[in-house]
Amino acid sequence: MFRLQSSKVLAVDMTGDAVKAKNGSMVAYDGEMAFKKLSGGGEGIRGMVTRRLTGEQMTLMEVKGHGTCWFADRAAEISLVGLQGDKLYVESSNLLATDGGLRTGTSFTGVRGASQGNGLFTTTIEGHGQAAIMSDGPAVLLRVSPQYPLTVDPGAYVAHQGDLRQSFQSGVTFRTLLGEGGGEAFQIRFEGDGLVYVQPSERNTIAGDV
Amino acid sequence: MSTYGTPGAGPAAHDPSTLPSDDNVDHYTFCVELTGSQWFMQKGKMIAYYGSIEFNGIGHGRLDRLVRTSFHSPLHASDWVVAEGSGKMLLADRAFDVNSYDLEDGNLTIRSGNLLAFQPSLSLKQSIVPGFLTLIGTGKFVAASNGPVVFMEPPVRVDPQALVGWADCPSPCHHYDHGYLTGVMGGLRALTGLGGASGEEHQFEFVGAGTVLLQSSETLMAEQATGVTPGEPGVPGSGAPGGPGQPSGAPRLPGQLGDLQRRFGL
Repeated sequence: MFRLQSSKVLAVDMTGDAVKAKNGSMVAYDGEMAFKKLSGGGEGIRGMVTRRLTGEQMTLMEVKGHGTCWFADRAAEISLVGLQGDKLYVESSNLLATDGGLRTGTSFTGVRGASQGNGLFTTTIEGHGQAAIMSDGPAVLLRVSPQYPLTVDPGAYVAHQGDLRQSFQSGVTFRTLLGEGGGEAFQIRFEGDGLVYVQPSERNTIAGDV
Repeated sequence: MSTYGTPGAGPAAHDPSTLPSDDNVDHYTFCVELTGSQWFMQKGKMIAYYGSIEFNGIGHGRLDRLVRTSFHSPLHASDWVVAEGSGKMLLADRAFDVNSYDLEDGNLTIRSGNLLAFQPSLSLKQSIVPGFLTLIGTGKFVAASNGPVVFMEPPVRVDPQALVGWADCPSPCHHYDHGYLTGVMGGLRALTGLGGASGEEHQFEFVGAGTVLLQSSETLMAEQATGVTPGEPGVPGSGAPGGPGQPSGAPRLPGQLGDLQRRFGL
C-alpha cells in the first residue's frame, strides 16, 4: 500500500508482497525487508537487451518483506498514480517505485523523446496497482478530453496515462533561424482522453535555446 | 497539491474549466488566461497550454506597435516573447516559487532574472541600477523567487543576495558597516577574510515610502541580460568614461590594495 509520508517521501506498507523501486532510493525501513537488485528492470533477458539498446536504462530493485519501507530520491516531489488495467508512460528517470505486480516495458515515443533529450523510448507500466513518479517541483496533473486538447513543452513533460495520441509540433520558422524564435520551438500535442503530468521546471532541451 | 496520507491519491486533475484564471495553480505554477489578448513572457517558461496560443519573438513585425508602447528595453528584446491567442497557459520556472503582483498606476523595480511575464498594459524599462528592470503602469506581472517573497517597509537594510525588487521609489543605496571595516585591521579583515569577516558588512539600504521585496533565501536567480545601455557619459553601467576626476579603469594587480587604499587613507 503506497502513501505519501510527505510530498518528497513515499511510504510503502508491505505484508509479504513486493515492490519494485529505483535502485538505492530506500531511505529507511521498519520490520523485515529483503532488497534484491533486478538487472534490466526485472524484465528478463529480452527486457535487458531492449533497455540496453534503447537507452531507457533503469536499475530497479525488488523490495520484499513485512513492515514499512520509505523511499525518496534527491528531494524530488512524488506523485502517486493508480492504475486500473491502463497503461502509464513515464520517463525512466522519473519513476520511483511500482507495485510488484505491475508489468514494466519500453515503448517507442518517436521524435518527442529526441526533442527532450531523453532518447526515443519511454518506459511503460501496465496492470492493476500503484506507481510513484517523481518530478522537479510538484507535478501538475492536466486532463485531456476531446474538446480540450493539450500542448506541452517537452522539457516539462513527466508522464501520461490513458488513451492519448501524441503529435509533435514544431514552431521553427525562418524567424528562429534569424534568432527571433518564440522560445517554444518544439511542443507535444496530446489529443484523446487521458491525463498528463507536467513539472514546473524544464529539463535542458535543445528546444530551450531556440 | 497531493493529499498526503491518502492511499493511492495523486494530485487533483485540472482541465480548462477548473484551472484558475491569471492566478497560481500551486506555489510553483501560474496559469494565464488569454482571450485574444497578449502577454509578454520570458523565453521558454511555458510548460503547457490548452487552446491555441502562438509565441512570437519580439522582433516579429506584427508586434512592432505593441513593443513600441510597452517594451522599452530594445537591446534585451531577444529574451522575451509575446504569447497571443486564446486558452489557458501554465508558466513555471525551474521549480521556483512564482507569484503574481498587481500594479495600479505604480512602479516596481525587479531583478531581471526574477521577472517571468507581464501584461502589455505595463511598460518595461531598463532600470538605472544595472541588472534591474522597472515596470510602470497598471496591470499584472508574474515573478519567480527562490522561496516565498517577504514584503518589508523602509527604512530597512537588506542583504544584496536576498533582494528581489522594490516598489514606489524608496531610494536604494549601498551601506557598509564602517565601524567594522575602518582601520588597518579592518582593512586587512575585509581584504583577506581572515580574523572573522561576518560576510554581512555590506547591505543595501532603503529609505522613503514604498515596499521592498525579499526572497527567503540568499541563492540568486540566474541573471538575465538587461541589454546594454547607450554608451554616453553619465549613464551608469555604460562603460563610457564618467568625466574628469573618475578613477581610471586600470586593471588591479594582485597584492595591490586598490580602492581600499583610498578608503582607509593609506
